Amino acid sequence: MRVENKSSAFKLASAVFNLLNPVPFGLFVAVMIFDFIYASTAEVLWVKSAAWLVSLGLIFAIVPRLINLGFVWFGKNRAAAAVKLDFWLNLIAVVTALLNAFVHSRDSYAAIPDALWLSVATVVLMAIGRVVLAWQNISFKEFGHE
Amino acid sequence: MNKNKHGLLSVLGMAVVSSLVLSACDNGAKVDIAKQIGANPQMPGAQNFLMPPMQVPGGVGWKDGQAPKVVSGLSIEKIASKLLHPRQLLALPNGDILVVESNGPGQEAVTTPKQLIAGVVKGRSGKGGKGGNRITLLRKKEGAAGEWEKYVFLENLHSPFGVQLIGDNLYVANTGNIMKYHYNTGDTRISDPGTELADLPDTVNHHWTKAMVASADGKKLYVGSGSNSNIAENSMAVEYRRAAVLEVDVESGASRIYASGLRNPTGLQFEPKSGKLWAIVNERDEIGADLVPDYMTSVQEHGFYGWPYSYYGQNVDTRIKQQRPDLVAKAIKPDFALGSHVAALGLWFYNGNNLPEKYRGGAFVSEHGSWDRTPLSGYQVVYVPFENGKPTGAAVEPIVTGFHSADEKDLYGAPVGLTQDAAGALLIADDVGNVIWRVSAAKQ
Repeated sequence: MRVENKSSAFKLASAVFNLLNPVPFGLFVAVMIFDFIYASTAEVLWVKSAAWLVSLGLIFAIVPRLINLGFVWFGKNRAAAAVKLDFWLNLIAVVTALLNAFVHSRDSYAAIPDALWLSVATVVLMAIGRVVLAWQNISFKEFGHE
Repeated sequence: MNKNKHGLLSVLGMAVVSSLVLSACDNGAKVDIAKQIGANPQMPGAQNFLMPPMQVPGGVGWKDGQAPKVVSGLSIEKIASKLLHPRQLLALPNGDILVVESNGPGQEAVTTPKQLIAGVVKGRSGKGGKGGNRITLLRKKEGAAGEWEKYVFLENLHSPFGVQLIGDNLYVANTGNIMKYHYNTGDTRISDPGTELADLPDTVNHHWTKAMVASADGKKLYVGSGSNSNIAENSMAVEYRRAAVLEVDVESGASRIYASGLRNPTGLQFEPKSGKLWAIVNERDEIGADLVPDYMTSVQEHGFYGWPYSYYGQNVDTRIKQQRPDLVAKAIKPDFALGSHVAALGLWFYNGNNLPEKYRGGAFVSEHGSWDRTPLSGYQVVYVPFENGKPTGAAVEPIVTGFHSADEKDLYGAPVGLTQDAAGALLIADDVGNVIWRVSAAKQ
């Protein structure tokens, strides 16, 4: 069943993807936690930290999302439905994270409550994508899977 | 493959839609700024933005022979150029003019991604230019036209702003202290290291200027200490003795909070008829192109003027989590609004007799100009008529304009400090053009 793509370009892209792809998810989880702490304490440390985390998460997301875009839509073989779903969930998550970065540029408590639901939405969308892939037992290497 | 292409189209479609969503928010001003001038400015509801309205012209400076425009009956000339960010002016009794050349100390830490972007935007306008950290003395050349003689008067200051002469002592308000120097009439240089009279709030220095005016009896100095944030986003812990006018005893250097809740009080002056202390105050940003109008107000002892909890009396700012209804209830409504985001910085009660009759007895106000508004506001010097110690009417007259190009792209200059010279002409410090302008009655 498994069709391994052995080209060195594919291996490099795969390695870069696997290195960078987890970073935004972890950062966005931290954003969500920090936003809830800020909402209850109003201690500016938390919202300022969250502002950096959401911006960094977006920057770290650029390369793995482009690699993913390339393999899902321009790969030699058709991508599985679950892989496409994961692509869309991640894309929407990037949009909510981007909106969240702008919301975090507001001063003082003006970021709340918008920041809360945006950070939850970002995390939930990315989490569903991961669960869907895991359910289908698809790892990145199998994107070329018939 | 067709299916893949279809998918790609929807990707592009989503990208276009999301960028439209971001840019479609119309953030421009909707209230006529003329309705935001006077005792009862029109104010819409507060908004929160994804991107605050932001428009900054690019600083280009003045070309040779180019000058701001003045209303008919007045003429304008350049009396000094090539200065290092001139901010404040003081006329000495012998007719010499002191020019404080200064800019922020640049010590505010970058604690949010937004500050990185804001720094770049401000740099574009020329308002971030390096300050000289010095005072230059200008002296009129006897019988000669053109630029005045220039002397480096006092050097190695630390972001100075306010300067006052009481008797033969010169007081300079650096961002972190008030220094006292001995001055002899006619001096063109002070080499005396000076002594520290009092320290001033010196952490963060988000608003770094310390405007200063001496009481008529020479016993007190009043110092404007601006807030360390737009709206307390750096926590109230760094707002101690901030957003306040401090009163400093000239004899002992002891100081106290004279009035508070004044976000960024600059342009401190005494109104000559009433003898009352007045201040120009720059109000908060990022809740709309039409909020909150900057203002001028008489400053009452122990008065609280709202910041950060409310503005114009009881308009509560919801961006503050720990609300203080007790303070909001006693917040004083300022006397006279000058329009949103005009960034008024200089105030001068004109008491000379060179300018035409209609400009006597009132106040000139310099508006350094907006960044948080589309279209631009400010970038002019206006006249506010006064009667019996109070501003009259609900309009100001722009006297000096033309600081930016008509298309709002290029910035030639921006007015800051004001004073009048021995002949009664109005002097204007321009910290983008690095020029001192002199406005006098046009020769008949």
